[in-house]
Amino acid sequence: MRTAAELRSGEKGIINDIDESNPSFKRILEVGFTPGQEIELINTSAFNDPMAFSIRGTLIALRKQEAGCIILS
Amino acid sequence: MNTKVDLQKPLVTLVGPPNSGKTTLFNFLSGKNLKTVNYPGSTVEYSTSSIMEKYNINGDILDSPGIISLQPNSPDEQVSIDSLFDHPHLGSPHLVIATADASQLSRHLLLTKQLINAGFKVILAVTMSDVLLRKDYKINDDLLSEKIGCEVVSVNGRTGEGIDELVDKIKRNLKDIEQNGKPDPKRELIDPDKISLLEIYREIEDVEEEVLEPVFNNNGKLNLKAANRELNIINPELKRGNYRPDEITLKIDRILLHRYWGLISFFLIMAVTFTSIFWIADPFMRLVDELFSTLASYSSDLLGNTWFGSLVSDGIISGTGSVLVFLPQIIILFLILGLLEDTGYLARGAMLIDKPLSKIGLNGRSFVPMLSGFACAIPAMLATRTISNRKERLLTIFIIPLMSCSARLPVYALLIVFLTPGDKPWMGGLILAAIYIFSIVSSLIAAAIVNKFRNRLIREEDTSSFILELPSYKLPKIPIVIRNSIESAKQYIYRAGPIILVLSIVLWFLMYFPNTSPEIDSTGMNDEEISQVEESVRLETSYAADLGKIIQPVMTPIGMDWRIGVSLIASIAAREVFVSSLALIFKVTDTGESIESSLLTAMDNAKNEATGKKLFTTSTIMGLIIFFVFALQCISTLAVSRKETGSWRIPILQLILFTSLAYILTLITVNGMKALGFS
Repeated sequence: MRTAAELRSGEKGIINDIDESNPSFKRILEVGFTPGQEIELINTSAFNDPMAFSIRGTLIALRKQEAGCIILS
Repeated sequence: MNTKVDLQKPLVTLVGPPNSGKTTLFNFLSGKNLKTVNYPGSTVEYSTSSIMEKYNINGDILDSPGIISLQPNSPDEQVSIDSLFDHPHLGSPHLVIATADASQLSRHLLLTKQLINAGFKVILAVTMSDVLLRKDYKINDDLLSEKIGCEVVSVNGRTGEGIDELVDKIKRNLKDIEQNGKPDPKRELIDPDKISLLEIYREIEDVEEEVLEPVFNNNGKLNLKAANRELNIINPELKRGNYRPDEITLKIDRILLHRYWGLISFFLIMAVTFTSIFWIADPFMRLVDELFSTLASYSSDLLGNTWFGSLVSDGIISGTGSVLVFLPQIIILFLILGLLEDTGYLARGAMLIDKPLSKIGLNGRSFVPMLSGFACAIPAMLATRTISNRKERLLTIFIIPLMSCSARLPVYALLIVFLTPGDKPWMGGLILAAIYIFSIVSSLIAAAIVNKFRNRLIREEDTSSFILELPSYKLPKIPIVIRNSIESAKQYIYRAGPIILVLSIVLWFLMYFPNTSPEIDSTGMNDEEISQVEESVRLETSYAADLGKIIQPVMTPIGMDWRIGVSLIASIAAREVFVSSLALIFKVTDTGESIESSLLTAMDNAKNEATGKKLFTTSTIMGLIIFFVFALQCISTLAVSRKETGSWRIPILQLILFTSLAYILTLITVNGMKALGFS
């Protein structure tokens, strides 16, 4: 099972599900990370965390731990 | 209930996600009576005004803070959503204008859909169609209106195109409400679980797919990009809203969010921000300072050498001056912050710094409040409301007093003069920079330590998260930035002003009474000398001196005497008062020279009354600097900290911890340096 946290820079993936065990899962859904969406890892900060994903026409920065609850198909 | 509603002026509220063009719309529609209102008991602000006269609508318009959904995720959002449903003064809106960015419709329609589901009467204003057009797409408004279930207008925030249509729709809807009654939205209608959230998303994704239409060029052919997209749609996996963010933004981010260059540019931008706060503000601060000294000396001449004259010039006018002298720095800080925010950089700064800050229990979102702390702790503490995690928010508030606020600058400026060799004036700037770096490093260490003991100090545990949109880069809207900076400056005056003023007057009282007209032997003295000697005798026999003598035992171990002690007590009103009270105490009266240089001479000659040795030496000056870096000497900060944390526990802890830390470190510095052979 691959998650968004494991994407390499410039790599794309399709969201399969959001892991509900992450306490922030609802906000992650609300900002647009929903199953079926394509995401692309655009930038990571110098410490590899947070990561900026392209989603629904915008960029959203998430911590690695949050990206880890975005399960890719 | 209906009669009450009928009497009420109709209220139109703008609601939308952050960066959806809400405020631009507000600027188009707002007219007279512009004011910012607070949700009672909080600092969440709204701009309201009556609708611009030329539109001929009897109603008010309100610009609410950006929210992502009707499910709150931070104290700020909680307040925004509460007041959307039922503002204690304004009630619920008659009409909601929801804003959505055309180029990220499927994200922004979530809130619109929730608003409609909750029972608000909604008009959807679609913004930034020009951005979408650059991607060779446009939105079919009529179809969108039919699918989403509310009226839709496309508005161009730059040209104002579409505003008239929006106004017509507002008019018609308000008339409709007048006849059929006000909507009664219910938050229970918002279902918070994952399944219903995904259902709404599925719905709006379908809507988006239907209403997006490719734009054909003059030949009637599909543009290349659009054609490519049409081809992509054949691929079922890629069919949904998968355009990339703005290409220019991606290019800029290749540098500004680059693994290494990103961090380097971040530090460069911060360095420029800091230096300009001081450089640009400096002439303005001098101007304010001179204005008030002139005013004080005029009123002193006018009212004569009476208690009343002294109250007006030394108490009230100087007190007001000490509030206003920091205004230039605060305005400039907020101007720069506003520009950085409006261009879209601030969110990126928060992202870059999130990891190191999270190591010490803070959050990338702590970055802006901490930065504001360099101007003034008060707006900085208010700015922590965007931090959704309570532990991180309290920890940020906890360490904000350690940020070297601008009130400490005149103190450092005065003290540095004693450390700077006369032939090397540039050393002064270096020392100042060192003080700032020292204060940043020590506040981070303090945060790490407080975080270690958070169970006892902060007593909050909450899941930490960092989810932040990085908006497309755009040119800042200067008038809005200016207006917001002035608003923030007003906030500072309202919050800090009264306390500083009252304390200045109290201090004046303590230094003037009880011996108001001391008897002195004035033979062979001219008027000026008489008034100088009178002033110093009055001070030596004043309540302030009594107070100072009580604290003498505390001052002796750190090599200082009661006069510095009194100034330190006085600086509780505001740190910068330290300078003016030193001036008063060291028998300085304005003799035409600039107040600082005569103060310097007086300080240089001052002897410690207990030991008879020179009072201001390298070690005591260093000790004082250390004291000012750590001590919490600001009543306004404590009051705001009490308000923002909800109890006295944290402000009292801050006061005790930081002030005793300051004293202990000063003790170590002074005696350590003496042991090492410094004077």
